[in-house]
Amino acid sequence: MPTMTQTSEKSLIIAGFGGQGVLLCGKIIANIFMLNGKKVTWYPCYGSEMRGGAVNCEIVVSDEEVTSVHKQQTDILLTLNDISYNRFLPQVKDGGRIIANTSLIKDIKEERNIEYIKADITDKASDLGNIKVTNMVALGLLSTLFDNVDFSHVEEIIKDMLPKNKADLVELNLKAFKAGKELRTERN
Amino acid sequence: MKQELIKGNIAIAQSAFDAGCDSYFGYPITPQTEIGEYLSRIMPKNNRAYVCCESEIASINMCIGAAASGGHPMTSSASCAIALMQEGLSYACAQELPIVIASVMRAGPGLGNIYPSQADYNQAVKGGGNGDYHIIVLAPSNVQECINFTHKAFYLAQKYRNPVFILADGLLGQMMEPASFIEHPYEKIDNSSWVLTGAKGRSSKFIRSLSEKEAQHNEHVYKLFEKYKKIEENEVMYDENFTDDADLIVVSFGSLSRNVKAAVKEARRQGLKVGSFTPKTLYPFPTQRLRELSRRTKKFIVAEMNMGQMINDVIVATRCEDVRHIGRPAGNWLDIDEIIGEIKTTLGDVYAASI
Repeated sequence: MPTMTQTSEKSLIIAGFGGQGVLLCGKIIANIFMLNGKKVTWYPCYGSEMRGGAVNCEIVVSDEEVTSVHKQQTDILLTLNDISYNRFLPQVKDGGRIIANTSLIKDIKEERNIEYIKADITDKASDLGNIKVTNMVALGLLSTLFDNVDFSHVEEIIKDMLPKNKADLVELNLKAFKAGKELRTERN
Repeated sequence: MKQELIKGNIAIAQSAFDAGCDSYFGYPITPQTEIGEYLSRIMPKNNRAYVCCESEIASINMCIGAAASGGHPMTSSASCAIALMQEGLSYACAQELPIVIASVMRAGPGLGNIYPSQADYNQAVKGGGNGDYHIIVLAPSNVQECINFTHKAFYLAQKYRNPVFILADGLLGQMMEPASFIEHPYEKIDNSSWVLTGAKGRSSKFIRSLSEKEAQHNEHVYKLFEKYKKIEENEVMYDENFTDDADLIVVSFGSLSRNVKAAVKEARRQGLKVGSFTPKTLYPFPTQRLRELSRRTKKFIVAEMNMGQMINDVIVATRCEDVRHIGRPAGNWLDIDEIIGEIKTTLGDVYAASI
């Protein structure tokens, strides 16, 4: 007689390769959850990460103190390249959701009971003129999965995080965030 | 108090600074390198000492020098490199020197790997140095406790003239969660009677670990153990939930206690009479409280990310026959369903009829 564990906790894995802004994307959304009064943890893979290598972070958000920071299964997976897609796909719960960056993930078989949200995230960032805002496009798209979370804090968070001499990049990042949100509406 | 998203390692580093740490000596090692990195930026700017040492042996011995001359030193490291400090830690205990050591556990034995682990319970609590000594060990389980316990570590080190460990793990060191930095909440301890500041105009003082005569040495060790007795009487910290009517109590420490508390809450929801117990000080261990609990509760599970270390202290405390261990060496923390599974197996006899 297995009884399912009841908890308000939702876990989210963001994964890609070094340089795509995976960890930063996770920190921004963790900040947004915090500013929405949620309990949240952010836990990165760590050690010998480098530009071009595999990188991921795991965010757990809850109404109460987060219990297990590093979970064996996840509700939402945001994946920016094919290596991370293949690695983390088995960890997504049945009924979970995947955002897949189809600019770099070509082979997606929609076999499992998972909602697949596919978008050319890297291409969108290139269209905006700077591939470095891939993570902000991804964040915009990710934000559409959280109905009751106010993402208006994203501007102040970006302003806080960018060094003063990079203040001119705030606008581009916000534009990328908005473009990411629109990727969802375009498809639906 | 303003909440910020703070990383465990940064919480320890900034709180050490806020608690008055005036000298840091260390050598980088994953998963705690951010502590030294962070302090390397703020210490020199504020006229405090930051030394990236040639080894951990140098680090602990520099801490000894700094503490003897009245400083508030800290070092931080992990597992295989804390191992290198054992001689110095024994000396610091013998010389009664206030040193704070942040130990952020990774997998062992040997170089092991960089994944989080709790396999240095014995290393911190029992020690690997020679002789009769104890180091105070504080075990935080969230980022706010990393902050609070770092302040407390500096206070206890000065109050008892003794090294103090902050025993965290790779998961706690690397994770971020909302927390608030605090002002140092403890009084300043007067150390003028013993610190070495130059003997000009006064008779000389000594800080040393060698006693030439048998009686002199024994007297010194008895004095140390009077101090440890005071620490055991006054400084025990723990947290317990649902223990009043528990048929089974799950004991755990550090970041794994978060999972255990959640598992116990869930088990209660399913109607199982289970409690959780979390020592916050590993030395002094909450032996007395566990013994009291064992008068009613006869079954204990000790959940730890190692092959069974704290379990020995729980067996001694509870004197119960049914004390089981659940754990593994490193990596993925035991998840809630695994802990509930072990709870159900252990309770088997009691509940077989009712379920």
